[in-house]
Amino acid sequence: MSAVQQRGSLTQVELAGVTGLSPATISNIVKELAGAGVLSTAPTSRSGRRALQVTLARNLGLVAGIHFGSRSLRVAVADTAHQIIAEQRMPLPPDHRADAGMERAALLLTELVEQVDAPLEELLAVGVGVPAPVDVRTGRVSALGLLRGWEGFSVSEELTQRLGVAVHVDNDANLGALAEARVGAASGFQHVVYIRVSHGVGAGLILNGQVFHGRSGTVGEIGHLTVEDHGPICRCGSRGCLEMYVGASLLLDMLTTSHGNLTLPEAIHLAQNGDLGCRRVISDAGQHLGVAAASICNFIDPELLVIGGELAQAGDLLLDPIRAVLGRRSIPSFDGPVGVVASALGSQAEVRGALLLAMDHAKIAAPMGGGL
Amino acid sequence: MAPSDLPDDAWRAGAPARPVLALRGVSKSFGAVRALVGVDLEVHAHEVLAIVGDNGAGKSTLVEILSGAQVPDAGHVEVDGEEVTFTSPGAARAQGIATVFQELALCENLDVVENLFLGNELERGPLLDEVTMERRAWEVLGQLAVRVPSVRVPVGALSGGQRQAVAVARSLLGEPRVVILDEPTAALGVMQTAEVLNLVERLRERGLAVILISQSLADVHAVADRIAVLRLGRTNGLFSASTTTYEDLFAAVTGVRTGHHRPADGDPPTASHDASGGWAR
Repeated sequence: MSAVQQRGSLTQVELAGVTGLSPATISNIVKELAGAGVLSTAPTSRSGRRALQVTLARNLGLVAGIHFGSRSLRVAVADTAHQIIAEQRMPLPPDHRADAGMERAALLLTELVEQVDAPLEELLAVGVGVPAPVDVRTGRVSALGLLRGWEGFSVSEELTQRLGVAVHVDNDANLGALAEARVGAASGFQHVVYIRVSHGVGAGLILNGQVFHGRSGTVGEIGHLTVEDHGPICRCGSRGCLEMYVGASLLLDMLTTSHGNLTLPEAIHLAQNGDLGCRRVISDAGQHLGVAAASICNFIDPELLVIGGELAQAGDLLLDPIRAVLGRRSIPSFDGPVGVVASALGSQAEVRGALLLAMDHAKIAAPMGGGL
Repeated sequence: MAPSDLPDDAWRAGAPARPVLALRGVSKSFGAVRALVGVDLEVHAHEVLAIVGDNGAGKSTLVEILSGAQVPDAGHVEVDGEEVTFTSPGAARAQGIATVFQELALCENLDVVENLFLGNELERGPLLDEVTMERRAWEVLGQLAVRVPSVRVPVGALSGGQRQAVAVARSLLGEPRVVILDEPTAALGVMQTAEVLNLVERLRERGLAVILISQSLADVHAVADRIAVLRLGRTNGLFSASTTTYEDLFAAVTGVRTGHHRPADGDPPTASHDASGGWAR
């Protein structure tokens, strides 16, 4: 059952593959759990053969995912079959504060749950992603100086009080990595590096199929890798950090004299339509990312590199320069350079990861007793 | 919204052109009350300009002048660099300036289509062209990504955010270039506020100039490109939203600190808030 809980839905045959049990055993277990109302089954087909799709029954409750970005908030409610049934996005001011953020997230979530005609008690667990390092044991923002007004703030404590349900917190890049590895571009891979580039830049690591958290959650803060010793001073106090070369506001600043006020989606759209200035800015960002990515790949040797965040919408305009630099700077291997792909879940990756995190922690009780 | 969904003509590449709408040294008094004193403002296509201020800062008078409901005592309004005089809201609309007032002016008992086309019904021979109107209604609501259950439900049955969206949609039917939203998030819940803020972003993406008047600094800061602070009828600073802190804005609203752009009494109003990037930070 936990296999179904992790993946949302899969066929009996796939279930046998994942769990290592024999198809006959799986069939019996599924039949029993379906009888108890925990699982529901539907006929489907896989490569032309008849198969039985297994999902968790819908009436088992809801999970919620919340993603605080640098400039937006996204809240989604899903059923236990991983279907998102309600979602809302909201733009946030720069430097938004933790207390106001908690208030908005809690209210939005309450309204979304109401919208699907469910009482708040049906909520089994909530997953939250924040754009800063998080100590996952305490749910506290652990880094200093990266997210003004959030340092040491316990997101899980604050939200648990408001919502009365267990809240689990992680860094947003970690959650994006989790989502891409489970249900996105990197599904089926064991060692994945996910780099998220929007207003800031961060990475999530999947090692042996698990999110790697390190000591206190500051793993993957690649925004502050030095790419230029004599570069501009960064908010972290160091010089020439990666973020100073690929962060959205820096890219847009480079375009203001020639293009006026642009937003990132607009710059990407222009680049895709052949605007030379926008193409240049995006390809330079790709080169800088490639430098950082090469170091990571030399160190971790992942099976796949997934690029997410708003800038990944630029597709190959961003990915090709990354691939080129990786080819030059990473250790040559018989298997060729590591694959670089764009996120499959796009702007939803982080909130999907938050839903997966909630789902992993949700205790699903069978309505008639007897979980597995 | 994926960039590929955007209309190609919504883009205005190249250096910032002249403003679509501008106020030059506008003053307005009501008896002893100096509602506006030498106010300069400009808004460009493809830009969200927010105007914030305390009660009595002159926000409402400003909206009335921009929308043609009031005529300034001194100074003038420019559209595309040409001086214009609006004698009525209709005259402003004819110049492509649409205003959505706080009261929205929707008829609760009429459905969405009837509200959108109220007074401008499409006709087909002696009858109303319901089919075309309904199609246009879905079109314009679709452009704004507004979720309404049906265009045939009475507006009274919609949420605050949806009503705001219907009122904005109605203003868009006239193909305006500037949309002025007066306190669009006042009295809305957080969910409706989210919808309205997303709506503002979409208007901007369509290449429109948006003027957003609000008391809520957080809402304004989330979507604006530039923020003008009004205090006691004067502009007390013009800020670039992405580089300004909440504290700076708050200080300008309350008068603790002033922005760089505050012409003293008697000084000629300066036009220092041009596109050269020299805004107060």
